[in-house]
Amino acid sequence: MSDLANSLSDLERRFAGAAAHAADTRELDAARVAFLGRSGEVTLLRRSIGQLPASERPDAGKVINAAVERMESVFERESARIANLAFEAELSREIDVTFPSIEPAAGTIHPIRRVLRDACAYFERRGFAVVLGPEVEPDYYNFDALNIPPTHPAREGFDSFFITDTLLLRPHTSPMQIRTMQQHAPPIAVVAPGRCYRRDAVDARHLFQFNQVEGLLVAEGIHFGHLKGMLTGLCRELFGSDQRVRFRPSFFPFTEPSAEVDTTCPKCKASGEPCNMCGGSGWIELGGSGMVHPNVLREVGYDPDVYTGWAFGFGIERLGLTRYDIDDIRRFVDSDPDFLKQLA
Amino acid sequence: MRVPISWLRQYVDLPEDADTIADRLAMLGFPVEDIVRRPLVTGVVVGKIVALEKHPNADRLQVGKIDVGSGTPLTIATAATNVALNQTIPVATIGAQLPAIKIERRKMRGVESEGMMVSADELALPPDWFEDGIMQLDEGTPLGTNVVELFGLADDVLDVEVTSNRVDAMSILGLARELAASYGVPLRAPSFDNPGTGEDPAGTAPSVTLETADCTRFVAQQFDSVRVGPAPAWMRIRLALAGQRPINNLVDVSNYVMLETAQPLHFYDASRVSGRHFIVRDARPDETLHTLDGEDRKLTPQSFVIADGDKVLALAGLMGGAQSEVRPETTAIVLESANFNGARVRRMAMSLAMRTEASSRHEKTLAPALTDMGAARAAQLLVQLGAHAYRPHPFGSNVFDADVITLTVRDVRRLLGLQLDADRMSAHLRALGCNVVTAADVLTVTPPLWRRDLTMAADLVEEIARMEGYDEIEAIEPSVPSHEISSGQYLLENRMADTLAALGYHEIANYALQGVDMQRPLEQSGITPSHKIVEIRNPLSEDQRYLRWALGPAMLRYLGRIGAPMRVFEIGHVFSLDERPIVEEAVLAFGFSAPRLDEPAWRDSHFLRLKGDAEALIRAVCGVEVTAARDVRTGYHPGKTAVLLHDGREVATLGQIDPRVARAFDIDMPVYLSNIYLDNVPLYRIPRYRPPSKFPSTYRDLAVVVDLDVAAERIREIVQRAIGELCTGVRVFDEYRGPQVGEGRKSLAVRATIQRSDATITDAEADQVMKRVLEALQRDVGASIRE
Ligand SMILES: [Zn+2]
Repeated sequence: MSDLANSLSDLERRFAGAAAHAADTRELDAARVAFLGRSGEVTLLRRSIGQLPASERPDAGKVINAAVERMESVFERESARIANLAFEAELSREIDVTFPSIEPAAGTIHPIRRVLRDACAYFERRGFAVVLGPEVEPDYYNFDALNIPPTHPAREGFDSFFITDTLLLRPHTSPMQIRTMQQHAPPIAVVAPGRCYRRDAVDARHLFQFNQVEGLLVAEGIHFGHLKGMLTGLCRELFGSDQRVRFRPSFFPFTEPSAEVDTTCPKCKASGEPCNMCGGSGWIELGGSGMVHPNVLREVGYDPDVYTGWAFGFGIERLGLTRYDIDDIRRFVDSDPDFLKQLA
Repeated sequence: MRVPISWLRQYVDLPEDADTIADRLAMLGFPVEDIVRRPLVTGVVVGKIVALEKHPNADRLQVGKIDVGSGTPLTIATAATNVALNQTIPVATIGAQLPAIKIERRKMRGVESEGMMVSADELALPPDWFEDGIMQLDEGTPLGTNVVELFGLADDVLDVEVTSNRVDAMSILGLARELAASYGVPLRAPSFDNPGTGEDPAGTAPSVTLETADCTRFVAQQFDSVRVGPAPAWMRIRLALAGQRPINNLVDVSNYVMLETAQPLHFYDASRVSGRHFIVRDARPDETLHTLDGEDRKLTPQSFVIADGDKVLALAGLMGGAQSEVRPETTAIVLESANFNGARVRRMAMSLAMRTEASSRHEKTLAPALTDMGAARAAQLLVQLGAHAYRPHPFGSNVFDADVITLTVRDVRRLLGLQLDADRMSAHLRALGCNVVTAADVLTVTPPLWRRDLTMAADLVEEIARMEGYDEIEAIEPSVPSHEISSGQYLLENRMADTLAALGYHEIANYALQGVDMQRPLEQSGITPSHKIVEIRNPLSEDQRYLRWALGPAMLRYLGRIGAPMRVFEIGHVFSLDERPIVEEAVLAFGFSAPRLDEPAWRDSHFLRLKGDAEALIRAVCGVEVTAARDVRTGYHPGKTAVLLHDGREVATLGQIDPRVARAFDIDMPVYLSNIYLDNVPLYRIPRYRPPSKFPSTYRDLAVVVDLDVAAERIREIVQRAIGELCTGVRVFDEYRGPQVGEGRKSLAVRATIQRSDATITDAEADQVMKRVLEALQRDVGASIRE
């Protein structure tokens, strides 16, 4: 009995050795045939059982069967090893990952809309609605209701395109202040982006058609500090958290007090050198702002002794030029495919 | 406005540095557009020519002895031809630094020259505005005085922008007052006492009749013993630094007073004003005036004038006439210091296409009190020049007082968020010239005579904010109250833009103002736009005369320019004339140019792609399905145009652009375009979920042969209706035309999916259903079935 056991264990050890050394399926199969095949070593050993006493034969058969089972599992394991070797060899054939990508057929949103949206999003998150309005407006909305009577010298500043005596392309988005307040009772919290038109000769810094975003917050207890807080937050959102914002006294007939809003020129700030974007001043002019004039509140039937509010109007193109470091404002209307794709 | 800092310093002590002053002005609301830097000039002093002779060795040179107050006169050679004995002139001494040169001891043709006689150019003053040659200073100027210090030539000049509400600050004194108040230092304002006291010689007293209410006040004052000549050097230099060309002493005085006080003046040759009687009246039809710039002006109905009994003398507040202009021989003058209605002056100036320094101030309506101040300053200067002043004669309103304004501590707090006490507020307002009476938290404020812009509490709050400094107001984020205002339209536009970008379209932004070149290609193709086009009255150029009536033409122009296949969209407003003055609509247009495909004429994959994109877009922004129907639109391919309908209402139009139109826009490939009027877009409808049946579905494919004019959509409808509620989908997935189906017929491949919600459908049931389908197709559209 111990002879049989010895022989089996030797045989198993040798099979395991041969299988472990097999480099491919062919060698592994050869080892299997040599040990477990019809005339393999195990078959020979099984035949030798006949020489044992009859009482030992059943046990011997069981011992051999168990050994065969173990060898079969060694064979399975080694088969898997060889299969993985082959697969790994196949996987190791690499591609050139630097080969130019396949471009998606995606479209683009115009950079002006992107800037405009980012500005609006800042206000939307704070509870403002975004409202849109007409571009052709009567002079009432453009001027009269905004405390700019017909004889006011400030009308001259809005060099507008006229369609009739009283109908013109809006030179600013401020008519939306009046429209919104006439349609809704206070409190009001809106931003109104949109196109405006002025008779400016087209050059690298001017278009006769441009976009503004108007902001209006009217409620009880709103003051100039809130205007500063909100617009400072906007600039930091658009240009970075260390952005400085400057409010300078100015004059607009529809606000009192009024302020021009400047923000630190991001280009100068980044390079440390005076740049062409801001003319070397270090400040970018964003637009006008101020506390809504009491006459404007009265015009829409709001009591200026109860309600106060602020308004502002910023040029979007200017924000876009600054944000993307664009050399010429005309690129916005040219909309060249390369321009659109670069800024997508 | 050009503001020499040296001139400001006459009235207020200021920091040395020009940039510091410029920053302060900006933070007061007067942005400085530019700082004109003055060059470094040293070592130039006042000298007097005490001897002058010809240079011994050079015909074109003279040698002078110049007394510069230091004892021995300097010997200086010059090539200038305007020098003469006893002239007082600027002299650059040895070691002096001029903009271009440093003065050193040198020999000129053998004569040792101990300096240089100096011209305006060498002091960095416009040479054309001064003597040709050596600059002439005034006799009696102390010799040896430093010329740069005396005339403030080292100080830079600020180019200051003044907002239209602050015409009072379109003056050196006005800006000095602002700076003095802001820095908290005293203002050294000049006296406004008029030295003219005596009565005019008998029968010469000027009189004024105000026939128009557009002149509110007119101060007339007569001067005689006037000698016309160059103004003193200090005045000429000051004017030159301020950008005003010196002319003669009288013109210079009027300009000087205007720059100093903002009040424009006009001098008339007294002998040329008939009866010394001035009438301010509207211009009469066909009146003309030869103005002092040499032009003949035909007066407009908007014009109003200063006239005497015979003739027009001047355009009110705009420009004088040549006829009554001061001449070299003039000895008696009448000064006009008047106040006009700004709107009227502006209308007149625009109608005559003229603008002057005077009108740019008058058109903003000056304070009437300035008339007396301006006359007084002019009289002081004219008396200094040796003229005799008679008493001023004011006409018109004498009421200058502004309305009293009540301001409370609360006003400042609620507008600025600043907690200031009444004393602090009143100190700020007093510094600006207001009269303030304080009682507890209430200020009773009378604005100064020269400020017309302060009319209500909010105006005073801004003054207080400016004096405190806008930087001092704390930035606080407000809590925004809730409200009911909707962002619907904005969200719709953004959803459309996002969806189209995801579908591969690029957003472009064209001009809304267009030239005739946008219509011409259509006209060439025999198309007249159905809309009445809106015309701009005052375009800057012909290519912006019309408002776009559609987004298509500019989009086609863009695709033509790009030349390669491109997918684009634009959202914008379009305009047309209607019974209402104007119709303005928000429109989305999207489309593409694409290479021609190798397809039979009755199939167009590009069209189907466009339709698929339009359907996907509407699904995304409205949550609804649309159906297509054939359509015909001008400018579109007559066989490849469709309208998309929802609940029978038009949502979108789409199709291939008529190839003739595309060619007219220089596009030599097929172009497809879809338009959606945003008002036609159904409100977003939340789609409802239909759970799938637990039981498997089956499908049946059919090949249906029908006449060519039977639309695929019709087949789909018939099949769906015939299957009824068991139908979970019908799709026409192929079309074939050719000899196998015969002339005038086509074969459509249809797949119908059939499913029961309560059990697995059997083949027998499905076949039964399909029998109904075939019957319906045969009955409704005469279909035959291909095996
Ligand atoms: Zn910069």
